[in-house]
Amino acid sequence: MKDNNSTKYMEQELVSIPFGKSKIDGLYYNSTIHDEDDKKNDTVIIHVHGFLGNFLDGSQRFLPPILAEGGYSSLAINTRMANFGLFFGYGILNDTIPQIDRVVEYLEELGYKNIILSGYSLGTSIVLRYAALRKDAKNFPHLKGVITLAAPYSMPDSIRRRWNSLGSEPSYDEVLEEAKEIIKPGREGTGHDRTILIYKARGDSYRPEHTEIYTYRTWWYLAGPEADTAMGYKQIAEIKVPILLIQGWYDQIVKPEETHDLAQVALDAGNKDVSAFYVNAGHKFEEKEEELGDIIVRWLDRRFKL
Amino acid sequence: MVSRQRRLLSFPAEDGFLINALLVAGEFNREEDLYNTPIVLLVHGVLGHFLARGTPRLLPNALEENGISSFLINSRMAFTGQMFGGAIFDESIMDVEAAVDVLVKEGFRKIIILGWSLGANISVYYAVNNSHPNVKGLILEGCSSSLPRSNKRRLEKWNSVPSYDHIYEIAKKVLRPDPVTTQNDRVFIIYRATGPTFDPEDVELFTYRTWWFMRGPEAYNAKTEEIISGVKLPTLFIHGDEDYIVGHEEPESLVEIMRNAGNENVQLEFIPKARHDCMENPTATVDTLINWLSNFKD
Repeated sequence: MKDNNSTKYMEQELVSIPFGKSKIDGLYYNSTIHDEDDKKNDTVIIHVHGFLGNFLDGSQRFLPPILAEGGYSSLAINTRMANFGLFFGYGILNDTIPQIDRVVEYLEELGYKNIILSGYSLGTSIVLRYAALRKDAKNFPHLKGVITLAAPYSMPDSIRRRWNSLGSEPSYDEVLEEAKEIIKPGREGTGHDRTILIYKARGDSYRPEHTEIYTYRTWWYLAGPEADTAMGYKQIAEIKVPILLIQGWYDQIVKPEETHDLAQVALDAGNKDVSAFYVNAGHKFEEKEEELGDIIVRWLDRRFKL
Repeated sequence: MVSRQRRLLSFPAEDGFLINALLVAGEFNREEDLYNTPIVLLVHGVLGHFLARGTPRLLPNALEENGISSFLINSRMAFTGQMFGGAIFDESIMDVEAAVDVLVKEGFRKIIILGWSLGANISVYYAVNNSHPNVKGLILEGCSSSLPRSNKRRLEKWNSVPSYDHIYEIAKKVLRPDPVTTQNDRVFIIYRATGPTFDPEDVELFTYRTWWFMRGPEAYNAKTEEIISGVKLPTLFIHGDEDYIVGHEEPESLVEIMRNAGNENVQLEFIPKARHDCMENPTATVDTLINWLSNFKD
């Protein structure tokens, strides 16, 4: 049995942050590492999950303990896009922005001065969008950096390219036509939506692991050709805080050059602090967890160590 | 003094499936008191998890205020398991077994399994097959007498697309040659499964294999009424008086079957002003549970 509650480096706590009539669930990892003067690091990382993910899986789970050992606390959260959000119609990317606002506010109340947003896969679209919208340092002084893990250059382009190469059923264009018919873009609020399956979306079989599930509305705002909010390259050009991009060299879902291209866009837009690293791993960074954590800790140390 | 605990644990089932669990316990004067007080092992409902609204979310804290600890698990049926093939009903008892083993190794002597909705059916199947001596009782909340019949009724009520019988026919073809050993499986959608529209909120999602073992006509172990006679543990049914998902007659019939099979320690309590989730009336639910759990205190 593995006790994930605490180690000598951290204390762990499940938190439910009040948000309107609902709550945002998260797992808070409070680093117990202090400096020589017994001062606690005032930098914290918010971790945002990937496709169908939540704070109990993937990098949201394995990174915080590694970062805690380096002296950095974390809060891994479930947004509206966690778990089944995409299947039942409420997982709309822009609707996560107020949730993250609330999480940032919560961490500020805890005393953190440097807030870093870290996203994995789909979560990179969320954190890039957030940082682009909250780029005004006067109004959002504590947002100090962005980390992306396996970031698609553009979620719509990435999905369209993958579906086309695998011969998905239905095809990207067929879903697009159906979506226009069902949700009638520009007339949101009409209440029309429907759940859809895409076979052969993640591999060349009809098996469940190669299938994707959306509603037309969640697809439209994440993968549709007009889903600007999910086009990482459009968002990253707006971001002026330090950016760290990390990508698995053998990633089958997001191509390695997408990270290169994103970094180039950020540099071309005038951001002077953009770093990109490749790890000898696939989309999930399996068996490279420590290496991934070390890269992030070093990057954080250079910018935020006390 | 044993401090208040909120511990997140991870441990594998027999087949390697990783279970996440949350231990919720209050303060105890001595370690001995913690382990000798009943602990409720809570198994979630359909698409549920240990933070899902209703009983999983609300009950542990309410029990803790009354000196009862809880252990909530995310089984293989949690989250998207039934949509991507991992949630095989028959295999889910391995998750309960693993959780019981963890509690036994920790030192807990009085384990009460509480299953909510789907979790109740899983708990019955566990209790029939492999109940550790430290498991002292069952609490079944919103327990359907048969998951397959419940699904068939609902799909017929809303005139689902596809129909229950059509799903069965397709499943037989997809899962050839044998649903137990086949490598073939596929995700499918049932429109108008829980309501009259094609909207996402009225949809159900399964793979043919997860449906077969949980909802199909040959899902024998999910037909609780056919196996519950084998449960010899003290059992409390709690049921929302206004539950429109599972009717009153279902727990009533299960109680009758158990009593006819010789289990005299079976009790059914209807919770007023509650639907499928009894914690819609937390006071009545907690009072009922605490009263019943007092039977297990020294």
